[in-house]
Amino acid sequence: MKKTRLWLLFVIITYGGWVNAQFMASGTITDIDGNPIVGATVIIKGTNIGTVSNLDGNYQLDIPTQSALLEFSYLGYSTTTFSVAPGEDIANVVLSEDVTRMEEVVISGLATSVKRSNLANSVESISASELTGITVPTNTQAALYGKFKGVNISANSGAPGGGMSFKLRGTTSISGSSQPLFIIDGIWLDNSSIPAGLNIVSKAQGGGGTSNQDNPSNRLADIDPYDIEKIEVLKGASAAAIYGSRAAGGVVIITTKKGKSGKTVVRLSQSIGFTNMLRPQGVRQWTEERVLGSNFASSIDLYRSAVANDQLHDYEDELFGNTGSMYNTRLSISGGSDRTQFFIGGTYKDEEGIVQNTGFSKQAARINLNHKLNDKIDLAVSTNYVHSSSDRGFFNNDNSGTTMGVSLTSTPSFAQISADENGNFPNNDFAASNFLETAAKITNNEDINRFIGGGSVSAKLFTAERQDLKVIINGGIDYYTLNTTAIFPNSLQFQSNGNGLNGVSIQAFTKNLNTNISAFLLYSLYGANGLSSRTQFGISQADFDRNTILGEASNLIGSQTNLDQSGTRDITQTRLIQHDKGFFVQEELNYQDKFIATIGLRGDKSSNNGDVNKLYYYPKASLAVNLHEIMNNAIDQFSLLKLRVAYGQSGNFANFGSKYTSFVSGIIDANPGIEVDDLLGNSNVAPERQTELEFGFDVGALQNRLLFDFTYYIKSVDDLLLEADIPWSSGFISVVTNAASLENKGFEIGVDYQVIQTKDLQWNTRLSWWTNTAKVTELLVPSFTTGGFADFLGQFRIKEGHSPTEIIGVGGTPDEDGLTVFGDAEPDFQMSWMNTLTWKRFDLSFLFHWKSGGEAINLSTLLFDLGGTTHDYDDIDLDPDKLMGNGPYRVSQIGVNSDVMIEDASYLRLREIGLYYTFPDKVLGDIGLKLGFSGTNLINVFSYNSYDPEVSNFGSDGLSSQVEVNPFPSSKRFDFHIMAEF
Amino acid sequence: MMKNYILYFRPSWLLFLAVIFIGFSACEIDEIEDPNGPSLSGVINNASRSDLQLVVTGTESLLRKEINFYYFTSGIVGRDVYLFTSADPRYTGELLGRDQSVLDNAGFYGTRPYSGRYATVKNTNVLLEAVANNANRLSLTTAEVNGYNGFAHAIQAYEMLMALNLQFLNGIRVDVADPFNLGLFLTYEESLAALAGILATASNELANAGADFPFTLSSGFAGFDTPATFRQFVKGLEARIAIYQGNKTAAASFLGESFLDVAGDLYAGPFRPYSTASGELVNEVFRVPNQSEALVAHPSYTEDIEAGDDRISKVAPRDTLKLDDLTATYDCIVYPSLSAPIWLIRNEELILIRAEARIGSNNAGATEDLNVIRQAHGLGDYSGATDDASLIDEMLKQRRFSLYAEGHRWVDMRRYGRLSQLPIDRVDDDVWQEMPRPVTEDE
Repeated sequence: MKKTRLWLLFVIITYGGWVNAQFMASGTITDIDGNPIVGATVIIKGTNIGTVSNLDGNYQLDIPTQSALLEFSYLGYSTTTFSVAPGEDIANVVLSEDVTRMEEVVISGLATSVKRSNLANSVESISASELTGITVPTNTQAALYGKFKGVNISANSGAPGGGMSFKLRGTTSISGSSQPLFIIDGIWLDNSSIPAGLNIVSKAQGGGGTSNQDNPSNRLADIDPYDIEKIEVLKGASAAAIYGSRAAGGVVIITTKKGKSGKTVVRLSQSIGFTNMLRPQGVRQWTEERVLGSNFASSIDLYRSAVANDQLHDYEDELFGNTGSMYNTRLSISGGSDRTQFFIGGTYKDEEGIVQNTGFSKQAARINLNHKLNDKIDLAVSTNYVHSSSDRGFFNNDNSGTTMGVSLTSTPSFAQISADENGNFPNNDFAASNFLETAAKITNNEDINRFIGGGSVSAKLFTAERQDLKVIINGGIDYYTLNTTAIFPNSLQFQSNGNGLNGVSIQAFTKNLNTNISAFLLYSLYGANGLSSRTQFGISQADFDRNTILGEASNLIGSQTNLDQSGTRDITQTRLIQHDKGFFVQEELNYQDKFIATIGLRGDKSSNNGDVNKLYYYPKASLAVNLHEIMNNAIDQFSLLKLRVAYGQSGNFANFGSKYTSFVSGIIDANPGIEVDDLLGNSNVAPERQTELEFGFDVGALQNRLLFDFTYYIKSVDDLLLEADIPWSSGFISVVTNAASLENKGFEIGVDYQVIQTKDLQWNTRLSWWTNTAKVTELLVPSFTTGGFADFLGQFRIKEGHSPTEIIGVGGTPDEDGLTVFGDAEPDFQMSWMNTLTWKRFDLSFLFHWKSGGEAINLSTLLFDLGGTTHDYDDIDLDPDKLMGNGPYRVSQIGVNSDVMIEDASYLRLREIGLYYTFPDKVLGDIGLKLGFSGTNLINVFSYNSYDPEVSNFGSDGLSSQVEVNPFPSSKRFDFHIMAEF
Repeated sequence: MMKNYILYFRPSWLLFLAVIFIGFSACEIDEIEDPNGPSLSGVINNASRSDLQLVVTGTESLLRKEINFYYFTSGIVGRDVYLFTSADPRYTGELLGRDQSVLDNAGFYGTRPYSGRYATVKNTNVLLEAVANNANRLSLTTAEVNGYNGFAHAIQAYEMLMALNLQFLNGIRVDVADPFNLGLFLTYEESLAALAGILATASNELANAGADFPFTLSSGFAGFDTPATFRQFVKGLEARIAIYQGNKTAAASFLGESFLDVAGDLYAGPFRPYSTASGELVNEVFRVPNQSEALVAHPSYTEDIEAGDDRISKVAPRDTLKLDDLTATYDCIVYPSLSAPIWLIRNEELILIRAEARIGSNNAGATEDLNVIRQAHGLGDYSGATDDASLIDEMLKQRRFSLYAEGHRWVDMRRYGRLSQLPIDRVDDDVWQEMPRPVTEDE
């Protein structure tokens, strides 16, 4: 570090010289329609001498040499060059929009970015138009589906407000999180999923405690997708090494919209839509014979009277048949002078769910300001306030028959459980709860108030013709309070007459504060020989402080819900405190855009490691070779030919608390005691380490109208942390240990093609294809099963030489573990196809997403079978002997053969479709007007025998996706839009 | 003419900046103590007297950990009860050996009651270690040390006996103090002998522990909360193990020092207390009667019970409930509320152990003891044959109804080789001899 500093000072002192201004170049920069482009950059190629265009698109630039090649660039437009010399000093240029995105700048270091055409990694990015231009995403994560190669995004359920898990290039952790790090405008975003403590009612996790089967949303849902200008995804360590110990799951970098100099633009949009169930299953059709042959035989009179009175119910429809209305209002105002730009955005959203009394609402406001204090100092501030509230119903696994989904499974259509004319619900004699009553009476709400704010200062310390030195300091805070309220009144079937706990009120308050600050020195040198370099050195610090207080009150007094209005109270507090510090150094070299090399190193230490002051180092290196530049674009057919290779390492922390062996409290006769906890801590715990090698090539043909990219990666993760089973006779259940390695390999292929480019008709299409295979390469503990309920109900198995996501069960032809592999959660491949068609004033966009292969564990159908109410209970197509109905057959296989529960989870979806019409200007004077229709998940093709193959009972933890236990079903949505701009 | 480089800030600023950079990254991160609970090493190495009290209370509390699964598993396999629930098929599937299904060595029914017992054992070992490490520093008297150790040894033997009841011929580990260096599995007989040895140690320690414990116990040990009275509980446990070992003489001798009282309350004995008060644990065996989620009586209970036996009150008629081809018409109400206690051992069992111990050597005495039980439950004196075999039948019958749903019938039928006499409800059902050794214990 000290050496670097001295070297910088040395450069500053020794570099110098005198030159003369020879002449002045000037001109106007416009777009294809002749509108001036404000703020476009003009530089003398190969130097940092330059300026920007003013409000009329005009520029003037002193040229110190006899002639020069000027380079004109602007975000979203193709870069153009123009030669100037004395007498030929007027350069008017027209910039065309960059449809290929090769000019887009992509992050390459903590303080630098690089043109995509010079990038050595496969870093994917999408812009606002792809994010929110087609349809109304319910939240940011829902807008990302199918839009990134190598990224597997999966909804945990259909509950309003989200709940999603991400996997970037496969599984990267077994017991820890595979979730990426989210960074918005330089602020480290918290993306926790904080359970509401429903376990006291659902008993999903047996012995108590807050379980992750509560189906919480994850906090990325707070970010308003309409504020986002761009999302970049660093999928593996080769790109993400700059983020060190937190980046093993990849990094998602979100940049919000900034104001632009010029006229103030006001955009107002309103959408109105509705949502309904994606895939109703139907209910079992009863006959007298079927009733008598079932566990419901004693209810035959009830069946007969239901038939006589025409009172057979489709309870699936009564529970999930709500057509939810959806409103989304969006206002943005942006503009500014050449010194100060602002962006103001506001969103009001109100969406109902497909279950009565569920829904999601959000109010969000953002103000982003950029200000040029003087020639040397730039300031940027981004602030965001969000209030969101989601009512999520009561679903997923339970062991008390109380969730609506589980209760539905044992309720036949001839049960009479609807409310009477006074609104009183009868007891459901077929289950522990009456789900219609539950839907009507319970509250399960997440309410969040969140402030995300950050700022940066960039100051030029020193500048010269071919070099400059900048310091950049940025920081941010992410603060929220989350209040979860779950109320189960004591008038519910399962909370009254001695059932349950006579009314339960569970209220949790979480306060979360993340702060991060970093400082960088950035030195750029533009060598006369065409070799330019950028050197950066930076330090960073991040602090995390979360405090959750969970109060559980039962024996509620009357209809009171305050915690103190109760007979029994229990309180739990969970704190998470972590301090990280690190440094980062990187050198980027660019030789005439022909060879672009980067080498860097990050060092991190953290209070979460066993040794808090030990630095863990994460190196990176990459090289891009632009063959077309080397050959001086000699091959006409290829406008781009790039080879690239990148290598990097990154880390993943142990779950908080892994280094401690703790006591938990136990109370007896109001006296507290201490009990050794289940987890044996490891005071030497170290981060998991990921190493990624990625290589690929990019080819552009037809003047970059056709782009093809190919990437192959090998990503290995060592020192994987396991909460490995320890013999239970030790008194512990598991021990934290760095004891495994795994490897992901995969291909990513993309084709972008501007098929038709005429005045009236444009058609752009993008086809992406990706696949990943994973293998456990080393396991220092015996193979084990995890992530489900039991082997015979399907679990994941961690076994050396096998896929970490393989799904095993009993029956079939068991291997040496006595288990049979029935599938793998990892899909064979995924593919997406994005199209945008413009015909005159009509825009049509649609996105197909195909996930082929991959299995899921379907326990919903099993519970319906046990309840005797499955929609296909009486169909005969599973039993090889063609004797038993599907229901009895599946039941007969419990504990015998798990095959029937492990199903193909492939799907093909029309993720998004949008059709818009833009009115000609004349119609409304200065007001631009656009009308449209859009839909989400309108076409769904899958054979999976439940609501949706995309599901996770256990939320986004570790491996545990693709396990289904009666979730909140997925939905499709339709929206109508009107947008005005003036 | 212009200068080609501009230094915007004075060199002193740069120096200032450099100092910030260096200072910022050089400073150390402080170790953070676990914010969520006391640490194990702190207690073992640096315990206070109040810490020791906390470990004692925690140990008592742990007696309840996962214990509901012990009573479900033993009750279902021993055909005392069924648990009907729509939430898990295993209660009416694997545990009853339905069709071809077999027990899973990772199934909760075998693993959770097992791990729960060893969690208590861990706490007792922490107590032993903390007492040994801190006795000097805390100036503990020998009597006080014996008090702590006697308590710890007694509880750990009790808990391991529960684990052994689940594991039977698989045997268990008894030396489990060091998680990274666990003792070998002992055979069933070796395990019983080892537990008997631990109880003998406890008994000795308690005999030399003075008049009072240096700690307090909960209401569950009311009447057993001094070294002398606690030792009567230990003697009862020693009698239970001796009778399991078939050592009737030893059993009778232990009973002499136990809290056995033929004239006393049959429910006298230490228990696990439950409460619905704030922060307390509730009895999770309890199920609300007459619901679809139900702990129901095995139909044979009401079929086999003698007319006039007041133990019929341990079950209550209910609406007929069917699940998985099983039918129930009675709920098991042995645990009638969320705050109903679960006994560790009680006087009624001790009387029955004495009856059992006397069979073969004092059949008249055995009959007398059995009649104490019969009379207490509203039945006339035993009138059958008094040969050994007949008395064993009668003794097992009385144990069945007296200790119904308290985890005994499966163990009793097993030690007399009578598991095949337990009723089978569906053609292909099985009666399991023991739970599989938990998956994590594979050697």
